[in-house]
Amino acid sequence: MKILVCAKQTPDSTVRVKVAPDGRSVDAAQITWAVSPYDEYAVEMALERKDADASTTVAVVSLGAARAKDSLRQALAMGCDEAILVSGPGAEALEGLGVAKALAAVAQEAKPDVVLCGRQASDDDQGLVGAALAEALGWPHVATVTKFAPADGGPAGSVNGIDVWKEVEGGHEVWRAPGPVVLTVQKSEKEPRYPSLPGIMKAKKKEIPEKDVASLGIGASLPKPEIVKMEPPAARGGGKIMKDGDAKRTAQELARLLREEAKVL
Amino acid sequence: MDFDLTPEQEQIRKLAHDFADQEIAPGARERDRSMTFPHEVLKKMGPLGLLGGPVPEQYGGMGIDYISHAIITEEVGRADSSVRTTLSVQISLVELTILKFGTEEQKRTYLPKLCSGEWIGCFGLTEPGYGSDAAGLATTAVKDGNDWIVNGRKMWISNGGMSKLALVFARTDPSAPKAHGISAFLLERDQHPYDAPTIHGKLGLRSSNTSELVFDHVRVPDGQRLGELGQGFKIAMTALDGGRYSVAAGAVGIAQACIDASVAYAGQRKTFGKPIASYQLVQELIADMIVETEAARLLVYKAGHEKNAGRPSTRATSIAKLYAAEIASRCADRAIQVHGGYGFSDEFPVERYYRDARVNRLYEGTSQIQKLIIGRFATGIDAIA
Repeated sequence: MKILVCAKQTPDSTVRVKVAPDGRSVDAAQITWAVSPYDEYAVEMALERKDADASTTVAVVSLGAARAKDSLRQALAMGCDEAILVSGPGAEALEGLGVAKALAAVAQEAKPDVVLCGRQASDDDQGLVGAALAEALGWPHVATVTKFAPADGGPAGSVNGIDVWKEVEGGHEVWRAPGPVVLTVQKSEKEPRYPSLPGIMKAKKKEIPEKDVASLGIGASLPKPEIVKMEPPAARGGGKIMKDGDAKRTAQELARLLREEAKVL
Repeated sequence: MDFDLTPEQEQIRKLAHDFADQEIAPGARERDRSMTFPHEVLKKMGPLGLLGGPVPEQYGGMGIDYISHAIITEEVGRADSSVRTTLSVQISLVELTILKFGTEEQKRTYLPKLCSGEWIGCFGLTEPGYGSDAAGLATTAVKDGNDWIVNGRKMWISNGGMSKLALVFARTDPSAPKAHGISAFLLERDQHPYDAPTIHGKLGLRSSNTSELVFDHVRVPDGQRLGELGQGFKIAMTALDGGRYSVAAGAVGIAQACIDASVAYAGQRKTFGKPIASYQLVQELIADMIVETEAARLLVYKAGHEKNAGRPSTRATSIAKLYAAEIASRCADRAIQVHGGYGFSDEFPVERYYRDARVNRLYEGTSQIQKLIIGRFATGIDAIA
């Protein structure tokens, strides 16, 4: 099975982002970058399939600035077989549909059985690219996926459809999609693995080819909504310390506050 | 001159940093309290390659450079010096010594098992009566046919009780001048049984295993000898050079942990209505820690650079080890000062850093021994010859 994972580089989720002086972007100087968490689940999910069937190959593609290569190298060190960077002037400014079209051009060339995307990126939380990619390719799309496997039957080595586990309220469903298919990932079975030292050393030797976004023939860019204002969340107010020594009265008061003031009960 | 890490070194730092934060640090206090050896942590480190270090890939290692080796050691030391001690002994004292002095068969037999963490190794040089004066050691190996009969006792042996393999130094020629009559042997615990009673009551490194090694007529085939006959003292000194590098990097890790804990605490703790970080005397404590830690790290990297270039690094390593060990203790002391009374309890990790930092000025050559090495390079006179 051939898997293509789309991974976006976003600010590391452990970094506290600051609004830049222009009031409409984040201060890039303070940022360390990482693979967006849902995309990291997608990488892990692909590698879990590779663990189950060693003949599986996993390629990972990122679209964006040259620094996204660091994140691709991270994915290679985790165990992906190859990586592609789509870059060049205009790549970073593309809106969601343009990104989907560029990724579709890469997918058409790579001919994977399964394309995995995180359900949404951790920077803009738009959740658009995966579904738009399926549309651009004319392939089926299944969302909130937690696991997939080749469906039973068919000659060995061929992919006779993909069984897809999908999280739903109170349980899960198993869908069967004809391949090739685009899946947007909710969570992998295990937490994303650490890149191993052998993985890092192997990744060091691998070339990461760069494709110029202008060469992908994605046509004119669509109008892009722009961010006009960014505000950090309001500072949290101080907590309330309940000093009454009587446990019963304190508990009653706490319940009242949680219900009437915090409105969480 | 280039102060930037390579992209691979950055990746290795991220791996070691994340692993240390997520897998090592969370259990450190409880392991320290209960004096539990970190088996579970080591089991996870092996498959990631964190116990293979600079050993070449064909022997099961990772073939990483010495700066990367220091980076991993620092990050592990930042989280837990007990785990870092096991790593230092395993890689620097045992693996790298077998790599340098072992026969091809010895390297193929032992290095993959050690690099994967399947076997824990220990290094038996120090004895109850011989620490800094290692050349005087009293353990004997007497030839009997094609075997050696080993008798004696070793002291303060990290990993000893957990070891499957012991690199042991014994006197094979009592008539030779003391440093020339020593040879090194590889003892497999299952094949050449030795006792390893655990030493209790340590000030720090309480979840690390420290033991004696007891050899009571242990029969060892000559094929288990490491290096040439009579070459043991040279092998031991070479091994310690590697060990000191690792200890230095680990000590930088403690110092960094002291900074991290102090900065976080000083930002949260309020006195007189303001965070204590806003007081100049607290900032001074933090600034002093940062300057010394950065200097120590650069000294470690300098020694690593010499090692990468294949040049003699004894002097640079001693300088790094002396300084890093001394400042780790100073930083831990300051970190407790920043934390005030809370720093005196194990609610915060700085009291553990304080206890764990102390041994760095003792093992792999005391601070005084490092000064004598540095002094010898400066004056040409060996003060303890």
